[in-house]
Amino acid sequence: MADLIQFPKKVAGAAGTVLAEPLRHWPAHSVDDFGRDPHLVGLLSPLAKLRWDVGVGGVQHLPTRGGALLVCNSRRWALSNVYAALALSEATGRPVRFVGRPDIAPIGPFMRRIGGLLARPDEVLGALRSHELVLISCAPTGHPRHAGVIDHHLVGAAIRSNTPVFPVATMSSSVGRTARAEVGPQVRPRKKRKGPLAELELAEQTQHHLQRMLDGFGGVQTGVAPLDWLAEG
Amino acid sequence: MGGELGSLVAAQLEAEPWVGSLVGIDVDPPRRRLRKAEFHLLQPSQRDRIVDVVTSFNPHVLINLSVWEPDARAGLAHARQFTADATTAVVGAAAECPALESMVLRSGIEVYGRARNTPTRPTEDCPPNPTTEYGRMLANIETSARDVGRRVGIAVGKLRLAPVLGKHVPSPLGRLLRQPLVPFSALADSPFAVIEDGDAARAFVAAAAQRLDQPLNIIAPGAITALQAIVRGRRVPLPILGPEWVIARQLSAFAGAPIPEHVVELMHRGRLADGSRAAEVLGYRPMLSTPEVIDHLYAWESVVRIGSIREVA
Repeated sequence: MADLIQFPKKVAGAAGTVLAEPLRHWPAHSVDDFGRDPHLVGLLSPLAKLRWDVGVGGVQHLPTRGGALLVCNSRRWALSNVYAALALSEATGRPVRFVGRPDIAPIGPFMRRIGGLLARPDEVLGALRSHELVLISCAPTGHPRHAGVIDHHLVGAAIRSNTPVFPVATMSSSVGRTARAEVGPQVRPRKKRKGPLAELELAEQTQHHLQRMLDGFGGVQTGVAPLDWLAEG
Repeated sequence: MGGELGSLVAAQLEAEPWVGSLVGIDVDPPRRRLRKAEFHLLQPSQRDRIVDVVTSFNPHVLINLSVWEPDARAGLAHARQFTADATTAVVGAAAECPALESMVLRSGIEVYGRARNTPTRPTEDCPPNPTTEYGRMLANIETSARDVGRRVGIAVGKLRLAPVLGKHVPSPLGRLLRQPLVPFSALADSPFAVIEDGDAARAFVAAAAQRLDQPLNIIAPGAITALQAIVRGRRVPLPILGPEWVIARQLSAFAGAPIPEHVVELMHRGRLADGSRAAEVLGYRPMLSTPEVIDHLYAWESVVRIGSIREVA
């Protein structure tokens, strides 16, 4: 007579309970419509502050409810858009999404969790239509106080969604923690255009506004010239 | 009309004042007590019979829900065959109905695909670019219906549903998430959104009532990652880096929860869409958010007792 072997349900159940026990104390989180995880951002915030001590100014220019396109300057390898987005999120109490995450694991998904969007006009347009604050950056430059060229396709998303554009001048040091993110007043187009010139002109105008704000920042003055040069990046 | 979503749509349509008579076709009998609807038990391959039933009824509105998601009720090959047969029969029959004004189709956000550098939250304006077999099946349905709609001059509304989860909805994603040990992509853990079956049914009723003539994304607000869903369900997460997915899929299929290609894609690349246009066009808002649907998934009883049905004279 063959013996009937039964699956050890009780043992398997007990093992599962033991394995799952630590999970009972884990908080149940979720992400927002764009995949940003506010809890992860909150956890990473002290780490970010170890690297950047960001002073924020001009947030009163930003709308309290509607969407807006923010444009910041970018120094090569400075991650200006990341620290500016984190600092502005904290200052405004609204999530600020930065544009320019790669779409490759594990960097891309991680950056999406902290508010990154792909550098695509339709992605920016979707976020602006959902009344989000979206931060794009100029083309990176080697000098900390030079505003690079702005991708007019991305600025075009603001025109199509009829949302305001604000310049955000950023400044950080590659050796120190001190950083600054200053929001300027809304950039209003000088001429009303119906065609594609509207986005080109608005992008150029925003770049000029940004450059003026950066010129107003002035250079670093510690009194020790080599240190100033280093801080200039 | 025999599936869970079909039964829900039929039950809700019966309560609508603008619905005079209702006829349904499916391979399974209805799962709810329907008082007004007439039901025909037919296989997708019985094209002549389906065409007879549809043309003799001559509806004003036709709702096509006959989509077999791979590994939900049938394996990939059968799902592909059944979906193609049903689409040919139903959409073909629709073209022969002189009174028909509108056709509403079930599609899915899988039609957008998740190729590299595609939008995270595609809107209805994004061209379909399916990257899985299920997405291609849905894109074929949309194409067939659009061609027929143009040819005979009827409105064609396409509801692109997020993965549908519900009490009795056979869903490979729901089945996977309810396993005691659930694999997830450790390097990506991408977010996805879902829709509850009751909310999806309400969208079909609203689309039929308004004679919808465009695609709409139907998606619950909010999103969740696989790890977050697993933790919410108090399941044991199994982090997987890449090549082990082959083994995980085999083991999961052995355990009774096969993981089709589009669910693997969801785990790796996420699946979101912009559902704001449905609110503008249909005035429709899902009642449950994505995290709530996931919570319901884990809260469902294994046996649902419904009271005895007494006939009232």
